[in-house]
Amino acid sequence: MAKRITIDPISRIEGHLRVDVEVENGSVSNSWASCTMWRGIETILKGRDPREAWLFVQRFCGVCTTVHAIASVRSVEDALKLEIPPNAQYIRNLILINHGLHDHIVHFYHLSALDFVDILKIPSADPAKTSALAESLTNWPGNSKKEFLAAQDKVKAVAASGQLGIFTNGYWGHPAMRLSPEVNLLAFAHYIQALEYQRKSVQAVAILGSKSPHIQNLTVGGVSNAINLDSLATLNMDRLVMIKKLMEEVKPFVDQVYLPDVCAIAGMYADWFNYGAGVTNYLASPDLPVDSKNTKFDLPGGFILDGNLAGVHRFDGFRDKVFTEGVTEETKHAWYKGETPLNPWKGETEPEYTDWQAEGKYSWVKAPRFQGRPMQVGPLAQVLVGYASGDPLTRKHTDKALDLISTVAGHRIGVEKLQSTMGRHVARAIRASMLAELGEKHWQLLVDNIASGDTTTHNVPEFPSGEIEGVGVHEAPRGLLSHWSVIKGGKIENYQAVVPSTWNASPRDAKGQHGPYEASLLHNPIADPVRPLEAIRTVHSFDPCMACACHTFNPEGQAIAEVKVL
Amino acid sequence: MKKIKICGVGSVLLGDDAVGPYTARWIAANYEFGEGVEVEDLGTPGLDLIAYMTGIDVLILIDSVENGAPAGTVTVYDKAEITRQRPAVRLDPHSPCITESIFIAELAGGGPEEVYLIGVTGEQMEVGAPLSDVVRQAVPLTVEKALERVALHGGSFRKRDVPAASEIWWEAAPVGAIA
Repeated sequence: MAKRITIDPISRIEGHLRVDVEVENGSVSNSWASCTMWRGIETILKGRDPREAWLFVQRFCGVCTTVHAIASVRSVEDALKLEIPPNAQYIRNLILINHGLHDHIVHFYHLSALDFVDILKIPSADPAKTSALAESLTNWPGNSKKEFLAAQDKVKAVAASGQLGIFTNGYWGHPAMRLSPEVNLLAFAHYIQALEYQRKSVQAVAILGSKSPHIQNLTVGGVSNAINLDSLATLNMDRLVMIKKLMEEVKPFVDQVYLPDVCAIAGMYADWFNYGAGVTNYLASPDLPVDSKNTKFDLPGGFILDGNLAGVHRFDGFRDKVFTEGVTEETKHAWYKGETPLNPWKGETEPEYTDWQAEGKYSWVKAPRFQGRPMQVGPLAQVLVGYASGDPLTRKHTDKALDLISTVAGHRIGVEKLQSTMGRHVARAIRASMLAELGEKHWQLLVDNIASGDTTTHNVPEFPSGEIEGVGVHEAPRGLLSHWSVIKGGKIENYQAVVPSTWNASPRDAKGQHGPYEASLLHNPIADPVRPLEAIRTVHSFDPCMACACHTFNPEGQAIAEVKVL
Repeated sequence: MKKIKICGVGSVLLGDDAVGPYTARWIAANYEFGEGVEVEDLGTPGLDLIAYMTGIDVLILIDSVENGAPAGTVTVYDKAEITRQRPAVRLDPHSPCITESIFIAELAGGGPEEVYLIGVTGEQMEVGAPLSDVVRQAVPLTVEKALERVALHGGSFRKRDVPAASEIWWEAAPVGAIA
């Protein structure tokens, strides 16, 4: 008899993501992913000036601010067929790179490492052994015995206080936790160090964007940064050097700490390459354009169907017809009206709420489909598309990671194994190391272009009186993001954001096909239904974010997530 | 001298959840501060709040709260009261993270000594709605409570002779791009 587990945020306002799984003989036999908040934020934009839409969409989500802003200006620019000056492309790219680095570092260390790292085993670790192990992996200066002793003391102090604070409700001592005390200590010490490095990436974004978390420097047609290498009030040489210095500090952390840690943990939990593949159709957009017409990109995009890497199809730009014509959204199992799959330019957002119904409607997320199929988006999709299509940068970083994982695991882990729960973590770290390298390149492109005498940063948009439509695409930290706008007489007529978590957290469609979260949970082991650590590992591997929503503090609130076993 | 930061948090797109950003912007437009005091609208930073509390001695958060009091009630919580709420296993890593951010910053050794939450009980969180009247009327008291904490920790401020524009852009009526 199957047992149903609901993992549901309790509070009404805070409720975002809910996952239900049925467990039979220690393994997941059925699953549902739902979003418990209405996402109708796009309706606010109707009738507004397309030039200010990015300010509003930047507030969809407080964590993904810049990504919505960039997708929005790209959407309007696409509708106007507006070219973007090279300086503006490079400045935007540097913002996206630093934002991505920040996101990936935080995601691994602060949002998901503790799914694999058992904090309460740390007091019994031998810091000297941890140091020896770490130094065998890399030359990182933060791997001394002293550093690990200090980190261990922090955990001992928390444990001795009798109040676990941040660690109160972890799944410590769970049978699926398998690292040695020394490796747990290694990962925890880097968890602390990561706080400093993620902040450096935030600082770089703030310098380029005039502010963070809400950048101020975007404009439809480019950026509003004035460039004058000698003026104090503009983007000058001092500021450019500050940005470079910050990136030069973050890159070694990614290369010598983040990527090796992920590879080591992946090698030690190599069985997690066998779970969580789920939907093996992948979709990624090209990004980091290097020319003003958006025809050349440093991150390739495209799609892969049924896990067949050899059949990869590359997109040649942001508005590839195969992409724009392939996307539809369905609402059979989502709390919206309408039966027909609609292209986002024709998209409707009319709520029709029922209760949570296993066979009926159960989510506020629509079901986006590409050529009628559910698609997985995120760093894994981007890395697989790049790898399969022979992108040299993707190949270099991926092969390096796979070699290290294979060494730790003691057997070969090939690129096909990345289609898994662990593979999503590895792909994110690979993407971070690619971004760190591309950061140097785009900084140099910007400086060289300015040195050549070009200080242009934007082109002025002019709106026709008729109707135009645009799509703004961005390969965000969580995957492909697209903003679809219809502009009529200089006003927004329709606006739909198809966000990465909509693809991944999608409910079933009319054909009953599961979305990626749901599909990836099937056949996951569950050792203890009251503590479904394994299900949480798989959900976290996607870097879920439903937070395009509300933020209210509930001082009397209890646990954020409640696990109910029915 | 102590570093003091007033942060408005909340979503400006969701009715009374905008009270934090609204109040922070109102304070910035109407007051000038001495060295070491900053005011910021942080939106909904989730766990990214940690990045903004590092190096700060006194953090004063302004946010909407759900505490069962009548809408428009202003309640001040101190650090002990905020951290009484224990974080738990979370599915969606970007939900509100005030408590967790404080814990993690403390663990790293860079957290603020004092944290206050000036909470305003909301009436509605409707998409695209402006602040409810009752919440808007609570703004002056919210400002007063925040400034009291600034003064308590030695921060200085004075009311501007001429207020700057407070840039509550999200409440402006829609206007198209063609005049």
